[in-house]
Amino acid sequence: MERSSRTFVILLTIPAALFFLVFFTYPVLLLVYNSLFDVSLLALQNRKFVGLENYADILTSAQTIKLFSQTLQFTAITLGSEFILGFIAALTFNAIGRKSEVLRTMFLFPLMVAPIVAGLLWRFMLIDNFGILNHILTGLGLIQRTADIAWLSNPKIVLLSVALPDIWLTTCFVTLILYTGLQNIPGEIMEAARIDGANALQTFWSITVPLLRPVIAAVIILRGIDAARTFDSIWIMTGGGPMGRSEVLSLRIYLTMIRFGRFGDASALATVFLVVLLILCLIAFYTIWKPDISKR
Amino acid sequence: MLIKQKIQVLLSVFLIAALLVACAPRAATESAAPTTAPDTSGAPPATESAVEGPTEAPAAETATLNILVEGGGHSLQQAIADKFEAETGNTVNFIEVPYQDVHDKLLAEIAAGGSSYDVATIDVIWIPEFAAAAEPLDDLFTDEVKNDLFPALVNDAQFEGRFVGMPTWANAEILFYQKSLFEDPDEQAAFKEEYGYDLKVPTNWQEFTDAAVFFTRDTDGDGNIDLYGTDVKGGVETEWLATVLQAGSPGVALDADGNVIIDNQAHVDALKFYTDLHCTYNVSPPNVNELDWNASQQLFFEGKLAMMRFWAHNYRFIPDDSVVKGNTGVAPMIAGPGGVGAIPGPWYNIIPSTAQNKELAKQFIQFAYENNALGLDAPLGLAARISAYDSYANKEGFEHFNPLIDTLNAPQTIGRPLVTTWNEITNDVLIPLVQQALTCQVPAEEVLADAKAQIEALK
Repeated sequence: MERSSRTFVILLTIPAALFFLVFFTYPVLLLVYNSLFDVSLLALQNRKFVGLENYADILTSAQTIKLFSQTLQFTAITLGSEFILGFIAALTFNAIGRKSEVLRTMFLFPLMVAPIVAGLLWRFMLIDNFGILNHILTGLGLIQRTADIAWLSNPKIVLLSVALPDIWLTTCFVTLILYTGLQNIPGEIMEAARIDGANALQTFWSITVPLLRPVIAAVIILRGIDAARTFDSIWIMTGGGPMGRSEVLSLRIYLTMIRFGRFGDASALATVFLVVLLILCLIAFYTIWKPDISKR
Repeated sequence: MLIKQKIQVLLSVFLIAALLVACAPRAATESAAPTTAPDTSGAPPATESAVEGPTEAPAAETATLNILVEGGGHSLQQAIADKFEAETGNTVNFIEVPYQDVHDKLLAEIAAGGSSYDVATIDVIWIPEFAAAAEPLDDLFTDEVKNDLFPALVNDAQFEGRFVGMPTWANAEILFYQKSLFEDPDEQAAFKEEYGYDLKVPTNWQEFTDAAVFFTRDTDGDGNIDLYGTDVKGGVETEWLATVLQAGSPGVALDADGNVIIDNQAHVDALKFYTDLHCTYNVSPPNVNELDWNASQQLFFEGKLAMMRFWAHNYRFIPDDSVVKGNTGVAPMIAGPGGVGAIPGPWYNIIPSTAQNKELAKQFIQFAYENNALGLDAPLGLAARISAYDSYANKEGFEHFNPLIDTLNAPQTIGRPLVTTWNEITNDVLIPLVQQALTCQVPAEEVLADAKAQIEALK
């Protein structure tokens, strides 16, 4: 590369690099640094170096295992539901073609709702003694009393309940991405498959899915991270209850930091969460997006 | 090529300029930048200006006092602030935030090392946490002041031997009931026939249970219960803690020395009484673990509860269109084997150590104490001084004051333990404990033994 051009490229890169350093690298390093101390948020100057003790506490705590498990379950429920529903919707829109324009626009409406508003809406719909959903189910004769399904207070189903706003909000996003991917599959390949006698299922499995692999990977990585760090809708619906059964890692980090003022512990938990997310993303990247790399 | 070089130079200049602007000293940009923070840029406080000298500001005698409050605290102190402004010429600026934000914002400000708030009106449960970062107020607590405050409020105002907060108002749970049910001669006759004694507003656990069972019924014959005797709140821990005190425990969860006593007999008895209402007698709307303050008061307002234990201030908040408007009676909190007991819910004015106008803040806090009764005409209608409550006790519309005074004066009305880990104990142990017990599947003793181990681990 010509020297002047290289200088130009470097100059163009500097703002982004600075932004990255100031708003990502520095906070992450600070997070890791703080995680090595026993420090209260109200007395930041009185910090005591404890090395990896905060990490040891976290990694040996039964609560951490429970939190990781619940975060994983929540992510699996939301991501799985959004992916299946989103794929069905994208295939439907693709099959309808241009006539689906209005439908697609309407389908995107939930994306414009703030998660905290969605959480409130769903809380009012699901709340046992007053919620409209149970009133409708009672009216339809599916349940006897409005209190028969304790959406937000039954520990066995609460994780599913708090996943509903997230599914409602972002299925349309998944649809949008997958639909764009479907639009980019060359028509002649599909045509060739049909001429060769492939049925719809074979075409879908052998052509559509492999060609959509990078798009699917993007959806899984983006939405997976997003779902794993969900905070607002769960906070507003249950606050993590009952009995902590809807508590996920982001809620615990917030509680530890802001409510309990344990800065060091919160930083350590956030660091562990960050590392785990990074590992999961790398796995998704190498197994779905670029499976050929992992086979080398 | 020349054009390309020119573009490169232009872009370079632009980037450098952008970087310079971004890295410019903060003070230079602050002067022009608008701020959403409260306006503290007015004249410095009168008491400090003389010390700081004329270079700091003109010899101003007035200042702006910023007070962090939640909605209730604002309305209760507005009349006091108006009078303070009129008498001193200072300006009082309330920064009103939702309940939990009072804690979170104050914590963040103190952690940041500077505070926009000169006074913060905080819930008693946050006193231990903020005590180390609050200015001492010992000189305000004269014997006269202490004698005019409920004992529990004086105890909770101090942490580790020094007073850090001045009570602004006090609250406690009392008993609400539908008068028409208890005054109906047919109901009275039916009750006497069933239980062998006269129907009256309950004063103890047994009477409360009997009345709750008696009034739980299907009123329209559709096979579903639509009037419940009472509610059992599983979304909050305070009501169960009040029951613990009624059972005679010297404290809730911890004793005065910090020992974990959550497995003592009073806690066991209280948990059994509390859960039996739901698990054995079914006198509460189901899905109790979802019932918190809001849900319960809504059920009472809709006429679905015959009785409700609730914070006294709610008496003045019954909506005009509620079926219980004009039909609500109030009585002191019920007694258990240990007597009447409740968890007091006072709020305190504190001065954060990072406050800018500390002397003026103290002046306001004293003024607020002296004019405490002014808050009684606010919608929330609460005060902290005994004399303030006494002056309104027989006034129409304030029928809840006598039950509140009786409850606050009860020997078993004891504040929550003043420990810095109380927030964590509440969130991680007490609320899950109550919720687990209300599943009706685990014995009280077992639940409390687990809770003891958890609290000891947190200590």
